[in-house]
Amino acid sequence: MIVNYNWLSEWVDINYSAEELAEVLAKIGIEVEEVEKTHKDTILKIDITPNRGDLLSVIGLAREIAAKTGKKLKKRIEYKLPKVKKEQKINVTVESNEDCPRYTASPLNNIKISNSPNFITERLEKCGIRPLNNVVDITNYVLLETGQPLHAFDFDEIGGGIIVRRAKNGENIVTLEETDKKLSKEDLIIADNSGPIAIAGIMGGFESGITEDTEKIILESAFFKPSLIRESSRRLKISTESSYRFERTADMYMVGYAACYAIKLLEKYANGKIMGKIVDTNPNPKISKKIPFSYSKVNELLGITIEKKKSISILENLGFTVSNKTGDKSEVLIPSHRNDLTIEEDLIEEIGRFAGYDNIPLRFRYSNHKPIWVENREIVEIKKIMVCLGFWEAINIPFIEPYWSSPEKTEAVYLENPMWSEKGILRNSLIPGLLENVKRNLNRGEEIVRIFEVGRVFTKGKEEEENVGGVIGGYTLKNWYENDREVDFYDIKGVVEAFLEEIKVLDYSFQNCKNPLYLEERALSVVSGGKACGTFGLINQEVCKSNVFGFEFCIKKLINSKKEKRFRKTSVFPPLKRDISIIIEKTAPFEKIQTLLDHSTKQKARIKLIDVYHAERIGKDKKSMTIRLEFYNPKKTLTDDEIEGDIKLITKKLESIGAVLRE
Amino acid sequence: MDLESLGKEVQLAIQKAASLDEVESLRIKYLGKKGELTKVLHSIGKLPANERPKAGKLANKLKNELGELIKEKKEEIKTHKSLPWEDLSLPGRRPNVGGLHPLSILSHEIQEIFIKMGFSVVTGPEIETEYYNFTALNTPKDHPARDMHDTFYLKDGRLLRTHTSPVQIRTLEKHSPPLRIISPGRCYRVDTFDPIHSPTFTQIEGLWIDKNISMADLFGTLDLLAKSIFGKDVKTEFFPSYFPFTEPSAEMWIQCPFCKGKGCSVCKRRGRIETVGAGMVHPNILESLGYGEFNGFAFGMGIDRIAMTKYDIDDIRLFFQNELQFLRQFDDSKL
Repeated sequence: MIVNYNWLSEWVDINYSAEELAEVLAKIGIEVEEVEKTHKDTILKIDITPNRGDLLSVIGLAREIAAKTGKKLKKRIEYKLPKVKKEQKINVTVESNEDCPRYTASPLNNIKISNSPNFITERLEKCGIRPLNNVVDITNYVLLETGQPLHAFDFDEIGGGIIVRRAKNGENIVTLEETDKKLSKEDLIIADNSGPIAIAGIMGGFESGITEDTEKIILESAFFKPSLIRESSRRLKISTESSYRFERTADMYMVGYAACYAIKLLEKYANGKIMGKIVDTNPNPKISKKIPFSYSKVNELLGITIEKKKSISILENLGFTVSNKTGDKSEVLIPSHRNDLTIEEDLIEEIGRFAGYDNIPLRFRYSNHKPIWVENREIVEIKKIMVCLGFWEAINIPFIEPYWSSPEKTEAVYLENPMWSEKGILRNSLIPGLLENVKRNLNRGEEIVRIFEVGRVFTKGKEEEENVGGVIGGYTLKNWYENDREVDFYDIKGVVEAFLEEIKVLDYSFQNCKNPLYLEERALSVVSGGKACGTFGLINQEVCKSNVFGFEFCIKKLINSKKEKRFRKTSVFPPLKRDISIIIEKTAPFEKIQTLLDHSTKQKARIKLIDVYHAERIGKDKKSMTIRLEFYNPKKTLTDDEIEGDIKLITKKLESIGAVLRE
Repeated sequence: MDLESLGKEVQLAIQKAASLDEVESLRIKYLGKKGELTKVLHSIGKLPANERPKAGKLANKLKNELGELIKEKKEEIKTHKSLPWEDLSLPGRRPNVGGLHPLSILSHEIQEIFIKMGFSVVTGPEIETEYYNFTALNTPKDHPARDMHDTFYLKDGRLLRTHTSPVQIRTLEKHSPPLRIISPGRCYRVDTFDPIHSPTFTQIEGLWIDKNISMADLFGTLDLLAKSIFGKDVKTEFFPSYFPFTEPSAEMWIQCPFCKGKGCSVCKRRGRIETVGAGMVHPNILESLGYGEFNGFAFGMGIDRIAMTKYDIDDIRLFFQNELQFLRQFDDSKL
């Protein structure tokens, strides 16, 4: 909200500069975002919290300044609706007092439409409202000063009386902005006998608007139910200075004051004359409420000692009435503009606010509570492992293109109001976001990108899951001791194997993987305890003409597959090493050899693959593999004789699957 | 050449020698059969008889000394094996190590502070219901406070949580007070994507429910937090504020670390920066959960904003572009 410094000074003496005032207001929780000096005046841009509808006006802010500085307002907020003898009568029917607890209509004639005086147009412009003509400007001027929205109808355009009612389904209205709005029974409207003439509290109709030819007007000042206005304003997508204030709750008393003030200005600056009886559906509204209150609770809740006298003076400066000033229990009478206050704690906040939060001591309570759960320890652990494996952590916005969802798109979780229309679904995988990161980095001239993310993924009908995913793209770094090469499948496989070992998922196997994210011939899934917990392989999309390899695991499934390693006795005796080279069919998987040889020997042996090569001379469909066997015994150093039997056994086994031993 | 300068010359040459071969060739050159010192020794016989004893004595002494020196040098070279020259300024063979995202670094750091204070860490779903995100937090549907949280809705009517406060309600439903928890996590609000706005952010919220908790406890805890993040000299300031789920409500601002309160572009010339929103938990919330006899405080902070302040980052989008050039600057990760 914007407010003029000079206008405020008309209501309260301010012994501060605008900058000092901003600081004083901040201390009572009113944030001044900007102080701007303009011609002859200074304006303050203020951020009003949604509970304080009463501060959306000059008078509202003046009240707070007065309460803070212990001063009285310079003018009294009192009114008496003018009594009129003339018999010109307008009929006002309010269908529901709940929807509209107070409605006033003042008929004026003899109106001369012209420009407003300078002081009005200048103030409106500084507050961001475009001046139109004296009648409309006066309603806006009074709104800014009192916070009470007003509306002026052209009397001659209204047929019959005024009815405040819900719209009928299918009714419509052309608004002042000349747009046609379809109304429903959720909308409160002002109507005449031919239909809607205004959307209550939001915007007037085009037909009944003030024009250059207007001579008679009806001035409306009313109180509409805040939630109704809020819902209509959202549904019809119209937000105005008026609806903004009504949805934050208007002041029942101010309804009458603003009407009287506007009539005075219309008489003075638009030549208006009251031509008939002023209608007021609720001339004596209940304007105050009682809140029970205890002085000792103030100190308990604020953690500070505030004398009773001080509490009382703060409440009274705010215009509240304190009923009991001697005992601990009291009752506080709240005026109609403070709709935000309902419970004792609200009053304690008022006392804290004006006593100054600066005066509340800083205390730290040591307590022997121990942390009971730390739910994300494992996630932190997983991130650390990925960092040690050479990956950089990314955080992506989890909105993705439908392209990435499952082929049928039935599993996708769609947003109702997406941020970007092309990215209308929540990610079901971390890979799409990571691929964008690879692209961006390769375009920035990075040679290799290793990047990972830990985050939620979403699938329709399933609980959201925390995944860890990573990708590698580009070339390994060329340096003085090693040549560069394009990253390949075994880079990602190595990462996956090391990762699983680090998080102690030890019992797993690789199986074929059909997942549209990857090319089927270059993808595997990781199965542990009979369940797939992740996948890895060549991503089914090139990025910057480079192959990208990725992996993704469900963290919950990984944790469920975790096993603590059991300690095995170490051997002080060096292993006996033997290399065996074989020639075998090109398509024979190493895994087959590994399982064939694992645990098959008398002496314990580790099996390592140390060389693979293809060459013309060994045959087009053949490959050569060199397997290193490391025999070890925890009790002694082994001799050649002791492993001879095992070597023969292994040779036989290898020959049984078609391998030929090389010399 | 006189004996003295010959002696010095040989001594110097031995000192400089770096290999056994070099020392041996020096021995041959000076002390060998045709060596220079040997020649001198032989020439002594030609001197007048009265000079012979003195010169002979000197020459023999020198011969013995040099012989000793050569022996020592050989010994020295044998024990200190000298290596060929290497360019030790070549870059090392570094293992690949990555790094954490700055938002993770800061988030973990803050979590550790609270764990030390005895808080538990709890998490919850990012897709939430109207009830947990708003209603249970004293924010009914028609309340203007909803404007503070412009919400992403799903087609099925659920929503993306706008804060991690729902986790507090879910925890209180399962565990009764006294308790102390923090809930870190991703949150979402409809916003533009520009240097200072983002549709998603990381939040850490805290809750302490017990008996006789006061604003002084809240301010003390938050002040300690600020000092842990920004250093013990940071100045904190508390202002009244409004949140539907707390009463009274407050904001903690810290003195701008860049201009020390004088006002600069980072703090928009205010001299201070908003860091934490907080307050005493609204009695309506505790009562509806059946904990009317308890009270306590809650607070929440956006890690992204704090990271921007702490690391002097002027564009929030950098956090989500994940450029290695950016990420590498934070690899002093406290793992």
